[in-house]
Amino acid sequence: MMSEVIATLKKDYIYNLMIKGKRQDGRGFKDFRDIKLETNVISKAEGSAKVTLGDTQVLVGVKLQPGTPFPDSQDEGVIITNLELNPIASPEFEPGPPREEAIEMARVVDRGIREAGAIDIKKLCISVGESVWIVYIDVHVLNDDGNVIDASCLAAIAALMTTVVPNEQQGIGADVPLAMKEMPVGVTLAKIGSKLMVDPSLDEEAVCETKLTVVSSSDGSIAGMQKMGPAPFTEAEVLEAIDMACEKAAELRELYLEELVKKE
Amino acid sequence: MSDKPEKLITDDGLRLDGRHADEIRPMKIEIGVLSRADGSCYLEWGRNKILVGVFGPREAHPRRSQRADTAVIRYKYNMASFSVEDRARPGPSRRSIEISKVSREAFEPVIMAELFPKTAIDIFVEVLQADAGTRTAAINASSIALADAGIPMKGLVTSCAFGKVDGQIVLDLNKEEDNHGEADFPVAMTQDGEITLLQMDGNLTPDEIRKGFELVKKGCKEILEIQQAVLRKKFETPVEETEAEVTEEAEETELEAVETEPSLEYAPEAALVEEIIEEAKEPEEELSEETIETCAVNEEAPECEKVEKIIKDAEAEVVEGEVLKEVIEAEIKEEEAEEEAFEDEAEFESAFEASFEEVSEPEELEEPEFEETVSEDEAEVEPEIKESADEEAQPEVETQLEEEKAEVEEESQLEQEIQPEEEVQPEEEVQPEEEVQPEEEVQPEEEVQSEENAGTEEVVSKGIFESEPEIESEAESRKETLEQTVEEPEEECKGPWKVVKDPSESGSRGENDE
Repeated sequence: MMSEVIATLKKDYIYNLMIKGKRQDGRGFKDFRDIKLETNVISKAEGSAKVTLGDTQVLVGVKLQPGTPFPDSQDEGVIITNLELNPIASPEFEPGPPREEAIEMARVVDRGIREAGAIDIKKLCISVGESVWIVYIDVHVLNDDGNVIDASCLAAIAALMTTVVPNEQQGIGADVPLAMKEMPVGVTLAKIGSKLMVDPSLDEEAVCETKLTVVSSSDGSIAGMQKMGPAPFTEAEVLEAIDMACEKAAELRELYLEELVKKE
Repeated sequence: MSDKPEKLITDDGLRLDGRHADEIRPMKIEIGVLSRADGSCYLEWGRNKILVGVFGPREAHPRRSQRADTAVIRYKYNMASFSVEDRARPGPSRRSIEISKVSREAFEPVIMAELFPKTAIDIFVEVLQADAGTRTAAINASSIALADAGIPMKGLVTSCAFGKVDGQIVLDLNKEEDNHGEADFPVAMTQDGEITLLQMDGNLTPDEIRKGFELVKKGCKEILEIQQAVLRKKFETPVEETEAEVTEEAEETELEAVETEPSLEYAPEAALVEEIIEEAKEPEEELSEETIETCAVNEEAPECEKVEKIIKDAEAEVVEGEVLKEVIEAEIKEEEAEEEAFEDEAEFESAFEASFEEVSEPEELEEPEFEETVSEDEAEVEPEIKESADEEAQPEVETQLEEEKAEVEEESQLEQEIQPEEEVQPEEEVQPEEEVQPEEEVQPEEEVQSEENAGTEEVVSKGIFESEPEIESEAESRKETLEQTVEEPEEECKGPWKVVKDPSESGSRGENDE
């Protein structure tokens, strides 16, 4: 309730800034806030990463466990993504099972990774039809200061890139890094008035009419998209958003993910 | 699950089900298929079978889900466990929760929810048979069901997906194409082409997306035409017919108004009016024609006493009825005024009521006087002239009534105009808590209100008079009575007003303010 009142009051302010081509914190429409990426922050997890995006903090842990494959993909590993909006992250989040907002974000992160073919799931097969690795990607939102979804996408892919498959633990050979094929990056654009801006802050998220998340691969193709929020987009806006998102995703990939590849 | 066929698109450019790349599957829509839902729709699209029921706007439960400025829209997408090849676990899955959310958002821009604050509009989608594209099919069906429910919308929402199959962009994927295709891109749009739902998974280049948008726009246009045709078929009526119906309806309504006084039916006062009418009728039934004749012939006959008594009672009732009529009128006005101007001021309310209680006292003193006046006249009246006298009196009475009303209006307006100055008036001493409120805004509404009531009141008074042809009174005596009634309409109103109004009024008002 509080946030709704604040949003109403701030709306004019943010809207008027938008008209002047400015943003509350002085960024340009295509600027991300400062990003800090740490990997291997949780040693108990097979892979982990923490992303700080402005004041937004997201921690992703990857756990691998053997399990049975799906009947329609007997030689493929399984990816299960879960996202929790912990009550620690915002006064508006409540304990309990994930609600639709969290479920939606988890599924967007999941689709990005799955559809881009980020993980070589054929290499996660232990024995066909009987046992495969199940990759659990658990996204913990620690502090919500806006644009949790982009931070989650980045943290998830970074965590996967540092994941080690614990073969030794199962007595099936030496540990190997998780086989990765692609680096999908999600970029969210908020629509305020007629303008699109990347990486909306908490206030901008509260004020914006609608958001579009675009997950793109390194070849510039789109792996997933999701419109979130009640207001509509025009076709031109969607196409503009795709171009902006691809451009920003390429930058983020180069700045933060390429070096993880070199480390391996 | 079947293995991937060698080719999803044949060499001559046709798809496995014989469609071209830009063709949608055949769609069949039935409207109003559920009797208990406010709006419903059954849609078949290819092998998809979707049933949608819309309920509302209805009170939102739980209460905390209500929104003070708008209706909440709730969309529940549910897959029947038997709708897919492998039995689906009943209940909401993560997939259905996500689809419900994005589908709800697809409708939020078009539903005029702000017209129904504190309510909920529920859209329930049951997927009975799924064959790819259920969320788009469900949105198309929901659009129709919402229209069927009469929910105000800025336009219909249509939805269609495109995808990539064998490297080619095609419209409206079927199950095989969905399973083995490279991308799926559901879109929902308004009639103006604004995109209200957009999801995508797979692998598409920006150019392919541009191409896909062209296909989707074409698909949505075709679907919109189907939707509009279905709605026209159900709701469009030829122009002449409509006009005739309207006049008939109007006549019927008029008749009903005369017979049943509809505008008063709901009011607690209506019960009182009816009671009075009933009471007045009773003697009519008791008196046989013989008795009346006897009275007419022989004034000394024992029946005369009875008749006279009944007449007296009836007359008294009539006077009271008139009082009541004014009561109702004044009360409705007061209510309006109160509601309009003092919605949140409980303090004023108590003062307001107190003021009426105070004013009401003189009225009790007046009443006996009428009865005396009436009974004096009665004795002289011959039964033979009853009806003619009544007929003559009628128009005059009506004129009187109208004058009366005008006066009441004037008085009440005056009173309210004066109110701001009441501080300096002696009344102030009696009602120290009374707060002064500006009244200007309220007045126009009052006038409208009293005009509306005018019709009904005539009916009421007519009803009373017509049901009692025995009432003996000369036009003059009636005038006198009325004049007396008119003299102090305000005060007279207060007696029954207080009795009738207080219990119901205080209760409901309190709730409204919350």
